[in-house]
Amino acid sequence: MTKPVELPQGTLEMLILKAVSLGPLHGYGILLRIQQISGERLEILQGSFYSAIYRLERRGSIKGEWGESENNRRARFYSLTVAGTRQLKAETAKWIDMAAVVAGILDKKADEI
Amino acid sequence: MSLLAAIRKLWHSIAPRTHSDVEEEFRSTLDAYKEDLIRRGLPEEEARRKARIDLGQPAAQNEIYRDAIGLRLFDELGGDIRYGLRALRRNPGFAAVAVLSLALGIGATTAMFSLIYAVLLHPFPYADADRIMNPIVVDAQYPELFQWFSLSKAQCDDLSLAAPVDSVLGFSNGHLEITNDGLPEDISGVYLSENAETFLGVRPLFGRMIEPFDAGHPVVVLNYRFWQRYFGGDPQVIGRTLEMDHAPYTIVGVMPRSFAFNDIVGVGDVYLPASLVPAVASGLAPSYAPSYLPWIKLRPHVTVAAANAALEPIVREIKKQHSGVSGWHLGLQPIIVPYQQDLGRTLALLLAGVVLLLIIGCANCSILLLARGRARQYELAIRTAIGASRWRIVRQLLVEALVISCTGAVLGVAASYWLAWLPLLLSPDSFPAESVIRINATVLVFSVALALLCGILFGLAPALRLSRNDPARALPGRQVGVVAAPAKHRWSVLIAAQVALTLLLMATAGTAIRGFLRLTQMPLGYDPANVMQLGIQLHTHDPGEWDRLQSREARAAYIEQIREKIASVPRVSTVAVGVDATPPGADVQSSFIVDGSSDGEQPKARVMLVGQRYFAALRIPLLQGRVWNTDENTRGDFIAVVNRAFATRYLSSSHALGRQLRIPALPFQNRFTASSAQSTAWRQIIGVVGDARNDGVDRPVVPAIYLPYTTLMRQYVQFFVRTQGDPLTYLHSIRAAVASVASDQQISNGVSGFDGTFTLSEAIERDAQYSRQRLFSILFGIFSAMALGLALVGIFSVVAYSVAQRTTEFGVRLALGAPRVHVLWVAARIALVSAAAGMVLGLAVDSFLGAVLAHWMQNAFAAGSLFAAAALLALSALLACLLPARHAVAVPPAEALRYE
Repeated sequence: MTKPVELPQGTLEMLILKAVSLGPLHGYGILLRIQQISGERLEILQGSFYSAIYRLERRGSIKGEWGESENNRRARFYSLTVAGTRQLKAETAKWIDMAAVVAGILDKKADEI
Repeated sequence: MSLLAAIRKLWHSIAPRTHSDVEEEFRSTLDAYKEDLIRRGLPEEEARRKARIDLGQPAAQNEIYRDAIGLRLFDELGGDIRYGLRALRRNPGFAAVAVLSLALGIGATTAMFSLIYAVLLHPFPYADADRIMNPIVVDAQYPELFQWFSLSKAQCDDLSLAAPVDSVLGFSNGHLEITNDGLPEDISGVYLSENAETFLGVRPLFGRMIEPFDAGHPVVVLNYRFWQRYFGGDPQVIGRTLEMDHAPYTIVGVMPRSFAFNDIVGVGDVYLPASLVPAVASGLAPSYAPSYLPWIKLRPHVTVAAANAALEPIVREIKKQHSGVSGWHLGLQPIIVPYQQDLGRTLALLLAGVVLLLIIGCANCSILLLARGRARQYELAIRTAIGASRWRIVRQLLVEALVISCTGAVLGVAASYWLAWLPLLLSPDSFPAESVIRINATVLVFSVALALLCGILFGLAPALRLSRNDPARALPGRQVGVVAAPAKHRWSVLIAAQVALTLLLMATAGTAIRGFLRLTQMPLGYDPANVMQLGIQLHTHDPGEWDRLQSREARAAYIEQIREKIASVPRVSTVAVGVDATPPGADVQSSFIVDGSSDGEQPKARVMLVGQRYFAALRIPLLQGRVWNTDENTRGDFIAVVNRAFATRYLSSSHALGRQLRIPALPFQNRFTASSAQSTAWRQIIGVVGDARNDGVDRPVVPAIYLPYTTLMRQYVQFFVRTQGDPLTYLHSIRAAVASVASDQQISNGVSGFDGTFTLSEAIERDAQYSRQRLFSILFGIFSAMALGLALVGIFSVVAYSVAQRTTEFGVRLALGAPRVHVLWVAARIALVSAAAGMVLGLAVDSFLGAVLAHWMQNAFAAGSLFAAAALLALSALLACLLPARHAVAVPPAEALRYE
């Protein structure tokens, strides 16, 4: 098994948006999908996970609706709103940008500076 | 219901999801996870356990939710408030004292603020009242004794064309008589220039105000009180006809209650277009043309100084017509200024008084909280021990303080509604007629801010003090050992401050009360008891009747006839005639010439026009010579009586009789005035009478000359009626007596002013200085009684608390043989010492402030009243210490030790 990764501050929300952007999911589904995409390498704390969901919902980035889950249970499904789509796009771009810059700096060898 | 819906909607926007909603979602996650685990091969029981361990409790989920959407602070504050309310309910005694202490202070302060708001900040109902100016004549020598003056219509028009002037309102007053039906009634009318509607900008209650197209039309607008009194508040009154002076007027409007135009000419019962002023209507010669008092509304953003400069040329023009008077200039004065001058200091002093009361109330709450804090140390220590931060504890204590202060504020604001009326009841004539006192938004914001401020003010010190405790010391054993109270008591400082402030208030009250008593005991020089003034207006507007009364002799005979009829009413002892001679009134003084005086001198005296029985009716003693007889009274000329002040100031008092004087300015041109043939000729002084107050109750008597009233007869006269017992009970039979002379002759309905009907005792009560002193002494008496009560409660509760806390200690002391007096001293020592320190501080502050206060109250500061107050305070403080301290001695040693 590969080493688990700890999430930097604020990235959990981005991941949730990404997970939801692929199609409406209930809370547990989001959790599973993130873990699945990450290759089971992310360990997400329960408390912070739902906090992030509540915050996103309050902010209007995602929208929750009650529906039937795959095993015929009532569950709350979240989907991306227009604002959420915009937010995901902006944050993804920001993240990739920042990661490239940071990686670029870290990759430099002594003689290149 | 819509309100409830709105609240629900608001709440939904704050917290969109309900408890059960959040919980249900969490449960479904929990189940999904559990099933996952079962699928991976865990037994069901094990899976449920693991799911719970990994994900947590459904109940806790709500907390996460509220935390995530930022409601946690709300929840905690809500908890603090609930806890604070519970704590108050648990200690009803403490709660009642604390809440009442603040309710008194906040109520009194709110009341005073709403009074100041109504009287000084927002007294007028007019649009742009801050731009309305009174032009006044200022005497360079006495800038405070300004005078209003009147202008002709043309001058008003000139003025309104000036650049800085927006518009000019001209007004004048007149007496009218209602002749509608069998009940003739004198009322006062105010004539307003036809731009009144736009100038004043007050929305009428019904109908409309006087408008430009009313010029020359007989229309009338009613004052609210008159409408209530005469028409019983009938809303159908618009369009009806009111017959005044035998002419029909159409009622076109009713003004709202707050409109009482105005204090300068007297509040009108009815308002009429200025073009209906009688002299204009009958087209008299220009010299008789009516004049108007002007109000000037400046254009926006024009300063008074700029306007004064711009109006200078017009002023110079007007000045030319007043040649002969030098040393004066014209100034524009905002209409609020006279009230500020009269009331500013009064209200500032009263405000200072209530603020002191509020501070004392706050100190009281602080003391109570600190004293109670010792009992709560155990509870707070437990909170600290299980992890409450200091900030959390400070917050909780502050919230409890705010709960107290807000409860106090609610009670206080309710009480302030009535408290604010008190000054108006006590001194009705000193406040603008139009100021309406009500609890409005500004006042409410003020009192809420005050409550929060108080809560923080008195809550912070105890909160900081109590939150700094060490659980390790407080917890184990719960303070069972015989621990002497810690030497440092924050509350001792508060007690000292409280006592000092209380002494300050009491000394002020003492000064005010002494001043008022001095005023009531001051010799007046006349006897106001059982004397009434009756005002009578002759019918100038009824042409037939006026012809009959126009000659001086006919008028004098008519007045004498009425006088005799009134005198014939049983148990009426003396009836005298006077014109504007009502004591203790203050009026203008006229110049006169005494024989043998040099020309340069311009001596002045009050000229009083009275009948020969005036002195007997008012019991003014005759000192020398004699009073004129009936024949001389009818003739009116050649004789005069002076008062003692006149004789000592202008004549050598022993040789006053037989001297001659002359009043050149006596006759003045007015078509209603009739003067005797020789009214300005030399008059021989035939008598000297005692000094009766004629310049207000507290000011020295000014020199006065008494002349027979027949020498200058106006269209009105007053009778002074001395009766056996309360004069007002005779009004009915006196009315009948007057009506027997002329059936339509009315007695004036006014209750104030020179031409009203009232007793002379009422006239004294309305005197400005008298009513101010009475207001001060009653209100400060109330304030200081409240302050004393608060201070005593503070001292009492501190000693009572500390005795309760130290029961064991006192028991041990007594068991070991300490004398009871010593134990008593130990129990009361700190409170006594701090009260004594407060007294010393208070005495020092008082002697420092004494001079300032005396000046502001226009009253001598009496050292005697200070010491009396100090003695009273010391005695009560001693009692407040000893009463609870007694319980310390009453502790049975055995019981105290058993408790150990």
